[in-house]
Amino acid sequence: MTDPSPGAAGGPAIVTGAAGWLGQNLVRELGPRRDRVRCLVRDEGERPLVEVIAPSVEVVVGDVRDPAALDRLFDGAASATVFHALGVVHAAGRTREFFDTNVGGTDLVLDRARRTRARRVVHVSSNSPFGANPSRDHRFTEDSPYNPYLAYGESKRQAEELVLRAAEHGDVEAVVLRAPWFYGPNQPPRQSRFFSAIRRGRFPIVGDGTQRRSMVYTGHLVQGMLLAEGVPEAAGRAYWIADAEPYELRDVIATVRAALEAEGLEVSPRRPRRLPLPAAVLAARADAFLQARGRYLQAVHVLGELKDTIACDVSRAREELGFDPSTSLLDGMRASIRSCLDRGEQL
Amino acid sequence: MTDLRADVVVVGSGAGGAVTAATLAEGGRDVCVVEEGPWIAPDELEPFSFEEMRARYRHRGLTAALGRPGIAYAEGRCVGGSTEINSGLYRRLPEELAARWQERGRILEFTPDILDHYASTIEEEIEISTVPGAPPLSSALIERGATKLGWRSTEFARLFSYSPDGRGTKQTMARTFVPRAVAAGARIVPDTEAVRVLVDGGRATGVACRRRRPDGAWERFEVRAPQVFVCGGAIQSPALLQRSGIRGLVGSGLEFHPTIKVAARFPHPIDHDDVPMHRVTEFPSNLTIGGSASTRGHVALAIADAAPGDDEALDAWESTAVYYTAIKSEGHGRVWTLPGLHAPVVAYSLTEADLSLLARGLVHLGELLFAAGATALYPSIAGGPVLRRRGDLVSWWDAVDRNRVNLMTVHLASTIRMGEDQALAAADSFGRIRGVANLWVNDASLLPTAPGVNPQAAIMAIARRNADHFLANT
Repeated sequence: MTDPSPGAAGGPAIVTGAAGWLGQNLVRELGPRRDRVRCLVRDEGERPLVEVIAPSVEVVVGDVRDPAALDRLFDGAASATVFHALGVVHAAGRTREFFDTNVGGTDLVLDRARRTRARRVVHVSSNSPFGANPSRDHRFTEDSPYNPYLAYGESKRQAEELVLRAAEHGDVEAVVLRAPWFYGPNQPPRQSRFFSAIRRGRFPIVGDGTQRRSMVYTGHLVQGMLLAEGVPEAAGRAYWIADAEPYELRDVIATVRAALEAEGLEVSPRRPRRLPLPAAVLAARADAFLQARGRYLQAVHVLGELKDTIACDVSRAREELGFDPSTSLLDGMRASIRSCLDRGEQL
Repeated sequence: MTDLRADVVVVGSGAGGAVTAATLAEGGRDVCVVEEGPWIAPDELEPFSFEEMRARYRHRGLTAALGRPGIAYAEGRCVGGSTEINSGLYRRLPEELAARWQERGRILEFTPDILDHYASTIEEEIEISTVPGAPPLSSALIERGATKLGWRSTEFARLFSYSPDGRGTKQTMARTFVPRAVAAGARIVPDTEAVRVLVDGGRATGVACRRRRPDGAWERFEVRAPQVFVCGGAIQSPALLQRSGIRGLVGSGLEFHPTIKVAARFPHPIDHDDVPMHRVTEFPSNLTIGGSASTRGHVALAIADAAPGDDEALDAWESTAVYYTAIKSEGHGRVWTLPGLHAPVVAYSLTEADLSLLARGLVHLGELLFAAGATALYPSIAGGPVLRRRGDLVSWWDAVDRNRVNLMTVHLASTIRMGEDQALAAADSFGRIRGVANLWVNDASLLPTAPGVNPQAAIMAIARRNADHFLANT
């Protein structure tokens, strides 16, 4: 990819969540092109994942909630672009973690960005502050109202509000990017289970499978982040960043099957299981019940969300940022599958 | 004591009751104020002392909302109510919050102009000032830490008047609106509990009262009045209504500002006579950082949570001051009364997001205090950890745990609520209780939510507005 913004080319970058799914993709793009890429990773075990990418990569190991770790991350990195890619998407048991990391971490990162006069903060948000679309043909735009879905959605809403408030107060320049469900290389194990379930014909289709989902290829999201860094007029704005159009969920599953086959994997001839809609409705209720008590079960949460249409319109990003999501779902899924196979995972 | 008669009986004499009584008495009504606590001369007790807590606080300051964690709360129980025991900070109701309240509860005549008018009226009648000259060190340290971190901080104005030699006097209700009410002919009946509102044929007709005789027996009497104002605060007002058979929404929706404290030790002595008037205003309105009363007793209590038995820390109390972070909680609570029990039961549940916000506030507070030069921080968390370096602040995130954290609150509000939306508010837009004629509430219970700032300014302005409305319409 060519750098879209000559003004920002070569400038120092700070990446939080650098060893995560999105972080690794971003650092791979930035590493060879920047003099300095400061990366926050959670523990020593994650260090090699980003250190190997380029000599420009400097790793800081620490907790985003730790003021001292953030001091090290921002030390001597004045006027850097901060790519805040860190976030907890699935908590380990308790919803508290969403708030501590997604809101608290963002608060501390913004504070350091302001104090070190960061050039700009590019904040990665989510579809979850907006809930589900009211109908299958509806698309979220940047003017859609907040309607956060459970604890994760609420935590990402609060984080967005902190970022937009800091921008409004003139504390720091900031851009919010709202990204839906990712796919692409360097995915975490939970996503490998997704491929493996589809390969074995075990991934359920809820209802008739015509509910729509916006998804975002990690390459598209990285492109969006670099554009958000470089386009001056983006300051203080929010953008949906996703593939060109939402997909029907049944098409996503069919495409993954085709991608698995194209990568030489045998796919079970079994048709996907069909799950009646009420089962997902029940799961959503159980999820809400548990979360009201501070508990989080990933499987229940994911099942509960499968019934919904969650679709957005990327027109504003196209017009204002020059965003151009050109990779097809099939090609993106193939890249994702290859990345799993390269790591020696059994799908 | 024989029964009393008046045009209006007012239960309670705090920011709501005293303003109500003075406004109505000056409007020509014969007013009788029933106050549960004693009438103590304003200068008789040392502010923030244990003697004062015994005399002026409900249950000597040992009240708590049930829940996990339980949350201690403080209420004044004396003529003047909580204005006698608070730090005097005065902050007008934020305009955007007033607009949200107005919209959500459909409150009539609650426009910025009207609220401005009443805030200005109160401000003309009671002295509000900032500290002349330099602020005390305990307060200046907040500013110093904030400046180092590049955070915004402000000195809040207070209900204080200063003599030419710089001596400050807090303008409590017992010094201001209570004497005004008395001058206009109101009678104050202290040491008297309101047991129940008398209701006859759907109309309030007075208040059944009781007081302890010197021999320990209860003496019972009634204050008969065709108009009844209940101004006992967000816990006692709904409790009195419930004891009088008025339930429905009454007592639900309790909100307050859960607060966690830190005792901070510095390498130099600090003042202990006043409460810091600086606040960190860097963060959104759901997070406040400021200073607390720091007498020797307060410091000892604060240290006792984190480091019980640490005599060396106690010996250094003269170099130690207490600071806090308070949040606008998204949880809520409820007040209810049980048959045969005079004291209400209060319960409150904090959400996971609330606990996270408290932890975040605590970490920010720690950053501030280290930046101000603190050498040891004692959080109000059972077992600490006590911190001596900034690098360990991260450990406070997980220490803020339901089972260990010791929270307190002031600023209890919103157990009755005002507005035209009958699904949300038990009182109308001017505090009149629905379903019973001639019965009003005029205190913090009417606020639709906890305000996120010190509430006494809002309580006084709204009480004044409602009292004017009453005078114009009855």
